[in-house]
Amino acid sequence: MILLEPHSFVLEETLLSRFTSEKPEVVDIKLVDFDNVIYHLQSSPEQRSLLTLSVEMTYFNEVLAYGAEEILAREYGDYMVPPTNSQHNISLQFDLEKLPEDKAALAKHVSLLKRNVLASPFLRAFEYWESQQEGAGPLMATHYRENEAIYVQAQQDRVTVIFSTLFKEEVDRVLGKVFLQEFVDARRLASIQNAPQVVYSSREAPLEIRHLPGLRQDESVGYVSFVLFPRHFADPEAREKTISQIQLFRDYLHYHIKCAKAYMHSRMRTRVKEFLKVINRAKPDRVTSMSEKRTATGRYFRPQFRQSGSPQQVEGEW
Amino acid sequence: MSKLPPVIIDNGTGYTKMGFAGNTDPQFVIPTAIGLPNQSRYGIASKRGIEDLDFHIGDEAVANSKTYGLNYPIRHGQIENWDHMERYWEQSIFKYMRCEPEDHYFLLTEPPLNAPENREQMAEIFFESFNVQGLYIAVQAVLALAASWTAKNSQQTLTGTVIDSGDGVTHVIPVAEGYVLGSSIKHIPIAGRDITAFVQQLLRDHGETSIPPEDSLDIARRIKENYSYTSHDMAKEFLKYDADPVKYYKSFDATNSINQQTYTVDVGYERFLAPEVFFNPELVSSDFLTPLPEVVDNCIQTSPIDTRRGLYNNIVLSGGSTMFKDFGKRLQRDIKRIVDGRIKKSEELSGGRLQAKPIDVNVIAHKKQRHAVWFGGSIMACTDQFYQFSHTKAEYEEHGPSICRHNRVFESLA
Repeated sequence: MILLEPHSFVLEETLLSRFTSEKPEVVDIKLVDFDNVIYHLQSSPEQRSLLTLSVEMTYFNEVLAYGAEEILAREYGDYMVPPTNSQHNISLQFDLEKLPEDKAALAKHVSLLKRNVLASPFLRAFEYWESQQEGAGPLMATHYRENEAIYVQAQQDRVTVIFSTLFKEEVDRVLGKVFLQEFVDARRLASIQNAPQVVYSSREAPLEIRHLPGLRQDESVGYVSFVLFPRHFADPEAREKTISQIQLFRDYLHYHIKCAKAYMHSRMRTRVKEFLKVINRAKPDRVTSMSEKRTATGRYFRPQFRQSGSPQQVEGEW
Repeated sequence: MSKLPPVIIDNGTGYTKMGFAGNTDPQFVIPTAIGLPNQSRYGIASKRGIEDLDFHIGDEAVANSKTYGLNYPIRHGQIENWDHMERYWEQSIFKYMRCEPEDHYFLLTEPPLNAPENREQMAEIFFESFNVQGLYIAVQAVLALAASWTAKNSQQTLTGTVIDSGDGVTHVIPVAEGYVLGSSIKHIPIAGRDITAFVQQLLRDHGETSIPPEDSLDIARRIKENYSYTSHDMAKEFLKYDADPVKYYKSFDATNSINQQTYTVDVGYERFLAPEVFFNPELVSSDFLTPLPEVVDNCIQTSPIDTRRGLYNNIVLSGGSTMFKDFGKRLQRDIKRIVDGRIKKSEELSGGRLQAKPIDVNVIAHKKQRHAVWFGGSIMACTDQFYQFSHTKAEYEEHGPSICRHNRVFESLA
C-alpha cells in the first residue's frame, strides 16, 4: 500500500454490514478518521431501521465558507438531516427499509464524505481559474489539525497548495526532511515530469502565506507547496483524482515516515541477528568426551540437562 | 472538541480484533496473516524502492496468497516475527483503522506469561515507530474477566477462572484480583480448529459425498457454528437420535462455491458430538485425555488456597469455541459434581466430625463471549483510570521501554 485510500475503509465496512444485516439492530458506533474527524453511527431509539450518521469536524466552519454546503447537498442531498447535537456538523439519515439496490456503492459513496467536504477549497480554486480572472484569488486556509493547515490559492495560470505540518518528534522531523527532499529530487526523473512541482521549506514560510499572522517559525514546522498546473485539473477526471490525493498528503507523509522507521528497524534486527551469529561462533567448544557416543542411526547421543563426568557434577554427588 | 477514543488491538494467533474504544464490537476481525512478495535473493538490504510497502494483511493477504507468500507472525499467542508484526500494525492502523497514531492512546493485549522482553519490544515499536500518545498492555485473561461484568449473574470482581478457547489453543487461567496466577495456568491442545476437523471427519464418515472437497472445511465450520449444542449425556443423546431421527436430524443447504449448485447435507450426531470433544477428549485425541471440567478443577486446586472459593465462584468463558449452546451449564454441572464429590469424601473420611461449607460453582456465559477480550478492552479504555494506568510517551522517553515491566494497576500492592 503506497498511497492511502481516499475513502474510509472502516466506515465503509461498518455501514455495509449495517445495510446488509437482515434485521435492524440497535447500533451505537463511534469511528475516527484522519485529522480529528469523528463519525457517530446511531440507530434511532424509536425506530430501529433509521440509522443516523453524524460527523464531527473541527474545520467544518472554515470549509463552509468555501462552499462545502453545496457539495454536501449535491452528493448526499437525499440523506441530509439537520444535526441534532450541537457537536455534530453534518448528519445523514438512512432508512434501512428504503435503501437503493446497490448498497455497496452507497456505503462507498458515504465513506468518501470527508474527502468530499475537504474538496471544497480545491474546487473553489479551480473554479476561480476557470473564470479567467486577473490576479490571484483569495487565499483559502483550512486548519485541518491543531497548528497545521492547508492553504489553497488560485492564480491566473496555476493553483498553489501549501501544507504546513508539524513534527512532534525530532527523528520524524529529520526523516521528514530527507523524505521531502527526495520528493523534490525525484521530480527530475523523466518519467514523472508531469507531476506537480513540489517545494519544501522548513521553518521559513513560503511567500504566499508569509503575511499571515500567527505562523509558527521554528524547527518543528515544515511547509510543502505544490504548484498545480491546468493539466492537473482541467480535465474533470484528473481534477477529482488530484483532489483525492493531494488532501491526504499530510497523512501520506506521516505514514511513510513511519514505514521508513519500520524498515530501518527490520534492517537493524537482521544486523543484530548477524552479529549474534558471529559472537556465538567465538564461543569455545565444550569438552565432550563423554558425549561422543553415537546412536544406531549415527546421531550423537547427549544426555540432556546434565553433563555427566564434568567435575562439578562429581563434587555435587559427593 | 471531544477526545479521540483509544484504539484497541487484540492480536490473536488466528485472528486480530481491532476497533475503537466505546463500541460493543470490534470494527475488524481479520486473520493475523501478512502476505509478502516472495523474497528477493539478496535479502533485506537489496531494497531500492518501495518494496517494503508491497504487502497485504488479513483477508486480502489470504485472497492474494497465490502471488504473495502467507506468513503468520503470531504463534501460540506470542509474537514470533517482529518485522512482520510491525508492518502488520502499520497497515492495520493506517489502512484499516484509518487513524493517526499520534493522536490516540492504544490498548494492546498480551497472552498470560508473556515474557517482559516481548512487552518491551511492543512498547518500543509503538512509541518509537508510531509515536503513540500512550500505551497500555493488558493481559487477555484479565480483559476477559472485565468483559463478563456485563453478564446478569456476574460478581464484578477481578478474581476468577478464565476459560479462553479460540481457534488454536485453549487456556484455563486463574486470576486473583487482576493478578494472573502463572504457575497454575493449564493448556489444552484442543480448540476450534480441532473441532472443525472432527466435524469434517464425521461428515465424511456418514457419507456426505455431495460436499465438494474444497468447501469441506468451510461447510464443517458452518455446521459447527450453527447447529451444535451441548448435551446432558452423550449416551442418552445417541438413543434419542436413533429413536426419532426425523426430529433431531437437521438438513443444511449449501451452495457449491464453483458451479453454484445447491446441495443438502444431513447433520446428525455431530450436533452434540462437536462440543462433546471438550468433555470427552478421547474422541479426537489419543494423548490428551483429561476432560475440560477436570482441567479446570485441577487448575483451581493448584492455586493458593485462599483464592479457590473465588475462582470456583466466577468461571468465565471467552473465545469463539465456548459459544456452544448450554456449554456453560454442562461445564458448571460437571465441575460441581467433582467438587461436591471431593467434599463428600472428605466428610466421610473425617467420620462425620467435619462439616464443610458447600462451594459455589458458577460458570458465567454472556453475550459478548466471542470477542470477550476485545470487549473487555473497550470497557477498560472507557474508564477514567485508563489514562492513569497507561504509559505515556513522555514517560517512555524518560525511562525507556522498561516502564512496561511495571503495571500501575498493582501500584497499591507494592
